[in-house]
Amino acid sequence: MPQFEQFEVFGSLIFWSLLSFGLLFVLLKKYAFPPILEGLEEREKKIRGDIESAEKLNKEAVAMREDLEKELKSAHEKASTIVQMATSESKKIQEKALEETQAKVKQMQNDMEREIEMSRNKLMGEVRSFTAALTIASTEKFLKKTMDDSDRKRLTEESIEEVLKEMQQGQMN
Amino acid sequence: MESPLHHFELHPIVHLSVGGLDISINKAIIAMWVGLALVFALFMMVAGKGRQLVPGKLQSVLEIAMEFIQGMVDEFIGKEEGKKYFSFIASLFIFILTCNLIGLIPGSYTITSQIAVTGAFAVGIFIMTLVIGFAKHGGHFLTILIPPGIPKVMVPIMIPIEIISMLARPLSLSVRLFANMTAGHTVLAVLFGLAMSASIWIGWMPFGFTVVINGLEIAIAFIQAYIFTTLTCVYIGDVINLH
Repeated sequence: MPQFEQFEVFGSLIFWSLLSFGLLFVLLKKYAFPPILEGLEEREKKIRGDIESAEKLNKEAVAMREDLEKELKSAHEKASTIVQMATSESKKIQEKALEETQAKVKQMQNDMEREIEMSRNKLMGEVRSFTAALTIASTEKFLKKTMDDSDRKRLTEESIEEVLKEMQQGQMN
Repeated sequence: MESPLHHFELHPIVHLSVGGLDISINKAIIAMWVGLALVFALFMMVAGKGRQLVPGKLQSVLEIAMEFIQGMVDEFIGKEEGKKYFSFIASLFIFILTCNLIGLIPGSYTITSQIAVTGAFAVGIFIMTLVIGFAKHGGHFLTILIPPGIPKVMVPIMIPIEIISMLARPLSLSVRLFANMTAGHTVLAVLFGLAMSASIWIGWMPFGFTVVINGLEIAIAFIQAYIFTTLTCVYIGDVINLH
């Protein structure tokens, strides 16, 4: 087996392998390992930091959502109260307006009734005074002369004409 | 047919000698350098300006490897103590894995299939653990030879057993890696030799096996690198924490 027989190469193999290993060890230790290990550590720190900050943000988001939900609930309650108040207020205003309108209508009705009553009274007074005048005038004519039917008719017509004339004059005055 | 062990032979390509020690450069050393240069280049691509907060594919692979090794070190040595040894363990894992994998390229060479190399590393690690143990605990470190809770009469028997057990560590560490790499490459050489020497009607079968065994060898390259570094961590952890 050459590995046990070639003693002459042992020296060079041991020398160069140990020297090469030593050189590799020094070079890797000085130039390669520190940046790689630093990079690993840096990444680990970053990942840890990112996870922590993500967890923190998540907690904040949850708290914020809870706050918003609370605010939304209270806003809903406020809005509902405002709507209720507005409804009752509008109902009151409506009722008040209805009452006022009814009162006004009643007042107008009363006024109208009073006016009608006054007009009727006035008219009745006028009718009474003209009836009296007519009666007086007719009586005067009957008393002046005995009349036949044609006279009666004529005189009555004349009386009515006179009364109408007087009424027109009275209205014009 | 050529011997399947023939490709383990090494011949100098560049003759070099320092103080009487032959340090000629051969195929195994060149393959190791190519592999290590590639791996270092990959690391520098990630560690340099190519490093991003959101990693790409190469960066992900290297980061996963780093985290995997860090987990191993933390588990067997301890979080605080482990920091001191992370670079050494990571470099060792990368070195062995690279040497194991580079040898799977046809025409290349696995330097970890040389018992001299695995032995040198295993002995080096063994000596290092002893140094760490004595540096950390002083004379008290020798209590590692007395397992906790044994009756005092057993101590004279246990100490030699523990010494043998301790000395077996570098032996098992080196032989395990060397044997696995040698066996894998020998099987590949045998199957490939069969495929080449047989007619095409039969030859496709060992060739197919070569492909399958090659896949298996990739897995073994990872497993052996993992075992070697894990045991190194365990040995370091043992001398740091004693019992």
